[in-house]
Amino acid sequence: MAFVAAYVVLLVAFGVLPTAYAIYFAFTDAGGKITGFANFITTAQDFRFLDAVGHVATYLAFWLVSLVVFVVALALLLHRLASGGASKALRFLYYIPGALAGAASVLVWLFMLDPTVSPVSSLLGAMGFHTFGEVIAPGNLPVLFTIIAFWTGAGGWIVVMYGALNNIPTDVMEAARIDGAGAWKTAWHVQIPMLRKWIVYMVILAFAGGAQLFVEPQLLSLASVGVAGRDYSLNQLTFDFAFQMNNINGAAAVSVELLVVSVSAAALFVARSGFFDAD
Amino acid sequence: MASRLLTGSVLAAFLAFFVLPVVWLVLAATKTDQQLVHDNPLSFGSFHALKANWHALTAFQDNAVMQWLGNSALYAVISLVITLAVAIPAGYALAMTEFRGRHTLLIATLVVMLMPNATLVVPLFLEINAVHLIGTMWSIILPYSFYPFGVYLTYIYFTTAVPKDLLAAARMDGCSELRVFWHIALPLATPVIALVGFFSFVANWTNYFLPYVMLPESSQMPIQVGVGSLLSNVPSFNPAVGNLAIERPQLALATLVAITPVLVVFLFAQRFLVSGMLAGATKE
Amino acid sequence: MTVTKPSSGRERQSSKRRAALLAGCAATAALTLTACGSGGAAGTTNKDGFAQAPQKDGALTVWVDATRVEAAKLYQQQHPDVKLDIVTYDGDANGSNYLQTKVQLFNRTGKGWPDVVFSSQNNEVTWAVDQNFAAPLNKGLIPSAALGKFASGANDVCTVGGTVYCLRNDLSQAVLWYNAPLLKKFGYSVPTTWEEYQALGEKVAKEHPGYLVGDAGDSFTPEIYLWASKCGANHITGPKSVSVNTSSEACTKMAKLIDVLIKNKSMSISGVFSTDFGKNEADKVLLMPGPAWYGGAVFKDTFKIPAKQIGAAPIPQWQGDASPSTGNVGGGTWLLSQHSTHIKAATDFLKWVTTDNAYQGEKAPGFPAYAPAAENWLKGQDASGYFATDLSALKNASSQVWPGWGSGQFSQEAIWAATVKPGLTQGKSVVSMLPAWQDSIVKYAKSNGYKVSQ
Repeated sequence: MAFVAAYVVLLVAFGVLPTAYAIYFAFTDAGGKITGFANFITTAQDFRFLDAVGHVATYLAFWLVSLVVFVVALALLLHRLASGGASKALRFLYYIPGALAGAASVLVWLFMLDPTVSPVSSLLGAMGFHTFGEVIAPGNLPVLFTIIAFWTGAGGWIVVMYGALNNIPTDVMEAARIDGAGAWKTAWHVQIPMLRKWIVYMVILAFAGGAQLFVEPQLLSLASVGVAGRDYSLNQLTFDFAFQMNNINGAAAVSVELLVVSVSAAALFVARSGFFDAD
Repeated sequence: MASRLLTGSVLAAFLAFFVLPVVWLVLAATKTDQQLVHDNPLSFGSFHALKANWHALTAFQDNAVMQWLGNSALYAVISLVITLAVAIPAGYALAMTEFRGRHTLLIATLVVMLMPNATLVVPLFLEINAVHLIGTMWSIILPYSFYPFGVYLTYIYFTTAVPKDLLAAARMDGCSELRVFWHIALPLATPVIALVGFFSFVANWTNYFLPYVMLPESSQMPIQVGVGSLLSNVPSFNPAVGNLAIERPQLALATLVAITPVLVVFLFAQRFLVSGMLAGATKE
Repeated sequence: MTVTKPSSGRERQSSKRRAALLAGCAATAALTLTACGSGGAAGTTNKDGFAQAPQKDGALTVWVDATRVEAAKLYQQQHPDVKLDIVTYDGDANGSNYLQTKVQLFNRTGKGWPDVVFSSQNNEVTWAVDQNFAAPLNKGLIPSAALGKFASGANDVCTVGGTVYCLRNDLSQAVLWYNAPLLKKFGYSVPTTWEEYQALGEKVAKEHPGYLVGDAGDSFTPEIYLWASKCGANHITGPKSVSVNTSSEACTKMAKLIDVLIKNKSMSISGVFSTDFGKNEADKVLLMPGPAWYGGAVFKDTFKIPAKQIGAAPIPQWQGDASPSTGNVGGGTWLLSQHSTHIKAATDFLKWVTTDNAYQGEKAPGFPAYAPAAENWLKGQDASGYFATDLSALKNASSQVWPGWGSGQFSQEAIWAATVKPGLTQGKSVVSMLPAWQDSIVKYAKSNGYKVSQ
């Protein structure tokens, strides 16, 4: 197909080839000799590995639930807003943090989470936090990372979901109204089923993104000068293996594990949702 | 009435959550470093301080900020054009036509999208080196142009929002495949083109790691890497930096400068995002 | 044109095709790898203790952090005939590993290395020697007369098995900073022993509660207090071996001192760069043990303390200790690439930037590691009129850094920050956390491939 030719070239050059190369790294040593699962075993024995698995699993639970529930709910609410102008403005305002990626938001979160200077210090105080150190205590980290990730990531998905809601044919919505379905019923029985593919897509990517947690702990680690968030996630370990310990093969092994987990989750969702059906 | 009140308060609560930190950031840029710590977090500093911060920021390495912005714009826009030219037809074909390898392509796209990127840097670097593009802007523009996320957005859009019958009818009328795509599918696809274009622009604009690793000259660096290097000159984030330090309000200002283009593009794209063009077309 | 679900047979076929495709790619990849791996030892000459590439004309590439751009520009100004390509990077701040990452990539492609690099870290040789990047400097490139004039021990962090692989840019020896007028007003004198220091802290807590004699909340706290106390937490005994013992008396007595002063609140646990310190404690500093760069970066620029208040005294010693000792917090290094094709020009630059008075003696922000430049630098500081005393304490401390604390590949600061700092916040004592600290150091050292003795 001519329509996909250019894409296939890019896909092979910048997707398939590097991924295959990384998989090759995972099963070889620095000299290129095949080593089977040796890299997987050595990296799993690193003293930070199991902790990181636990951290990522906890974070994933918080992240997936909050993303799916709030994004879909907010998109539905915005879609119901009578005033088109208000809905448009809100979508823009919700999106703004999405532009604040990476290093740009270190400063923001350092000041938001530090009760000494935070605009919400009374809120933090009411929750019993009086110093930055208390806020970033280890037990709070999954929630903090979820908040930071949601803050930057949700706005974009809300825009996507809103656009998808707009594409639901008006006669379908009208039929629901004539049947006397209220807002709840319409959302549950009409709109959400018709968003199915979009939601599945979001969940697949959010799962992979969550399993590859990296930016948020890195950011907090920078803001707290290493007190919280260093060596927290598996993906941070891959960077550490690759660029601190000069062990690209170990890094590739952890990457492949993350890939397998993400692809398995994706396969599950795809199979159960008819995601690949062209209809 | 009660439900409208609930809707309003939920939306307002999230508004505060999303916007409050941004408001703080804007105000931070108007303060001196002392004011940032001592004054009310949500107070306005002074125009004088804002101006001083601006001067300090532009003085950093002889106005490097402007150069970073120019680089970012160059990389992001060229990649955006290539991405649109490649991803939209691909997503369309995957959704609306049946061809050998369609499933393979969908799966391969999804798999490489899910691959963690730490280990992809080395292979990418070696590939780019093999074709002698190290040191050129193409070493990041080409990898940027590969945008599987956009292909999927287009794919889902066409499968969910454009009826196949419409295209089938056009083919019956004797339209060539290219004409069907150009005259029928593309006009219906305005919202998703805007969506893919916008997300691709943002992804390119905010990408940090690829240019950080790939580009050899500091004069080639985009704004994200620039903000990163400003950050490493703020003593609170890098205690051992020494004397010539960037202060936190200047970093806040740099951050604002860095995100402004993204917000402008959003406002522009938003006009097309939800044009509701299909409202009539899908009625059968 | 409807879509039929592909039959299972077809699916199997396509997955087989996919497998073939992937296998093909892996083979290509393997080919590329071997092709790149054999990057060339061809045409090299053995000179100055390493195999040098054929020398060429062309621009000298220098990587510096934002602060050191000034040095490179000054060199260019004074040497207009040298073609210089100045590249700014983050200086490997906060363990960004930028230099190591790029060198790994360049080693695979066989080109791209910078000629001279500044790093704000002083542990680069722990990888740069293994990866054949850093050139030996004391085998012909830098005369031993020049090497001999660096402050004693300054280049220990650059030395592997007797060979020097980098030159120290600046020193960060710890001294006792104090507020001279305030001390006078309270009627105290500068403590010279840790015992006196602790007694003064207890007195301040009673007589002037709220005022501070120190801070223990930074990631580099152990390098100020425990290093100065000769605590053997980080004794690098070989290129890949370390001895770790945090339970010796040298460690516990300093930990106890810190605990007492934290408890009576004359020592802060916020960290000098924290917003909490800046807002509530910056004007309460009476004494503050800290590295050389505190003078400019903390008191002058961050706390904005007016001129003629801050002075420097020698860091206290334990009573009856024979030789004075202090700690050190950071200090950058310069490396020269083995792969350089402009070794002569690179060496000239390196010599100039580390030793010449024009930069180190007059412009450098940190205390120069090269002793003759440091003399000049101190004169400049005196002439600037900011400090209440002369800075001779810095000069004396520069050669008193205890050599039993090394610079390994793993970051001691990161370990302290993640292991001990959270406990301090929860109110645990340093003494109670010494075993956990040791455990964490041992784990990180092992993970980085170190042989650990305890």
